[in-house]
Amino acid sequence: MHPARVILLAGLALAPGAWFTTTRRPVAAQQARDSGPIEITTDTPEYCLYLRDRVHDLVHLAASPPPKEVTDLSTEGQRMCDQGQTRGGIMRLRRALILMIHNSGTTQR
Amino acid sequence: MIDRTLFRSAGFRFGAIYALLLAISATALALFLWWATAGLLDRQTEAAINADAQDLSERWAEGGLASLIVTIEGRLAQNIDDDAIYFLADRSMRRVAGNLERWPSHVTTPGTLYELQVMRAGMRSLANVQRFDLPGGFHLLIGRDVQAMAQLRRLLTDALLWAIVVVVLMATVGALVVRNLFRRTLANISATATAIAAGDFARRVKLTGRGDEFDQIAEVINDMLERIGRLMDGVRQVSNAIAHDLRTPITRARTRLEDAALHADTPEALRAAIERATTDLDGIVAVFQALLRISEIEAGSRRSSFTRIDIAPLLAQVEELYGPLAEERGISLVARTAAEVPAYGDKALIQQAVANLLDNAVKFSLPGGTVRLNASVAGRVEVAVSDQGPGIPASERVKATDRFYRGETARSTPGSGLGLSLVAAVAHLHGGELRLEDNAPGLRAVLVLPIPEEAEARPAALQPKHDFI
Repeated sequence: MHPARVILLAGLALAPGAWFTTTRRPVAAQQARDSGPIEITTDTPEYCLYLRDRVHDLVHLAASPPPKEVTDLSTEGQRMCDQGQTRGGIMRLRRALILMIHNSGTTQR
Repeated sequence: MIDRTLFRSAGFRFGAIYALLLAISATALALFLWWATAGLLDRQTEAAINADAQDLSERWAEGGLASLIVTIEGRLAQNIDDDAIYFLADRSMRRVAGNLERWPSHVTTPGTLYELQVMRAGMRSLANVQRFDLPGGFHLLIGRDVQAMAQLRRLLTDALLWAIVVVVLMATVGALVVRNLFRRTLANISATATAIAAGDFARRVKLTGRGDEFDQIAEVINDMLERIGRLMDGVRQVSNAIAHDLRTPITRARTRLEDAALHADTPEALRAAIERATTDLDGIVAVFQALLRISEIEAGSRRSSFTRIDIAPLLAQVEELYGPLAEERGISLVARTAAEVPAYGDKALIQQAVANLLDNAVKFSLPGGTVRLNASVAGRVEVAVSDQGPGIPASERVKATDRFYRGETARSTPGSGLGLSLVAAVAHLHGGELRLEDNAPGLRAVLVLPIPEEAEARPAALQPKHDFI
């Protein structure tokens, strides 16, 4: 086969892949510029308090004392939230919550 | 101004093809990398959102709105990766549950992924979200934070852009190298061809010793030049032989005619001189006819008349023809042939070849000698004629089939030196060979022909047409 034809065929074979890879973006429409970013409410000090309360509720409802790791994570999370490290505090409180749920055998989906 | 001959240059084309192939290969690799990294992350995000939607729709079906709210809040509370986004809205698009401040106004079509700018703890971030409509006028938005993926995508894009620059540089340098390599290789062949055109027939294409395709081409060209050289030598030899061998009879005829013109006193003497000159000229005509016949055989045109034949009767006829001649010279002619000798070829040519061999054998045998004609079939057809004459020394047997070749022992015997040439031409035409062996004493000439099945299967293109001169 003539080299030019080989190149042409290779180019044609690549074209669909190139189109698929470059154009198939998962986003259908861009956000309007004037609307501005929307606040996520689970990164706020209020949510920190909400999570702390949920952990405390589970601890009080539990038949046995919570594991030390739960207590440590809960304390550390609350301390970080108080110091303004909201996301780090929330992450620890979430881990404490998950540990409590698994420890008490509660299934919360 | 760009030289137009540059684009017509094969070296430029090869270089351009190399650069293009390299670019296409690099593009294919880049596309695959993109598909396997950024594309994979996009697909994973979309799959996670769809799996989430499927699960939440089951919650809705099982426990209605309350169950869905509890599930969403639970998932947000346990979202260690801190990337989940949910928004459950009522028919007025007011928030019922979730972690978005409000419903994004541009997310209007269910089942479509939207890009969404969000603010996380005072920092801008990017998310992909999808809308799902629920019964009762409720709307659910599910999304994932893709800020980390967007950063990875930017890094990948930068890397690929730099890779394109490197590939373009490599393609350019590679194309120049390929072009120069091609030109250098062709320059070698071109210089040889130019030298030969200028008359230097001893010049050959230089081999690099790598044994690559260029060396193979060079070897083929050198073989071709060797062959052309041999053919030219042959032509030169034949021309010399014709000039030498025909000069004597022509000069003799001229002298006889001149002598008769000057000194013949009677019409009878004049007629006798003319007859002798005519005999000499007939001999010359016979030589030319033999030369033309050999050329015709070598051209291969007679192949079209090839058929399956039995050469046993032909051998019997030739034996019958030369029997009286041999007897007259006191030579014993003994024939031993198979009852049937099948062959594939031209009956007349094979008969003439065997006749030439027998003629030589009888001509060079001494009185009291024996000439044997044997024919056998064992994988191939062999017709052997052996005599007890002076034979041909081993060193001269290779040349014996050259036109006009006359061995030392044959100088005193009449002949043109074309008999064995014709036999060899017939053998080659039939895909066989003429083998000359020592008969101790004498010569054993063997005409070897392929069996019909093998000869018929042999492609015409493989038939040697001009193997020798």
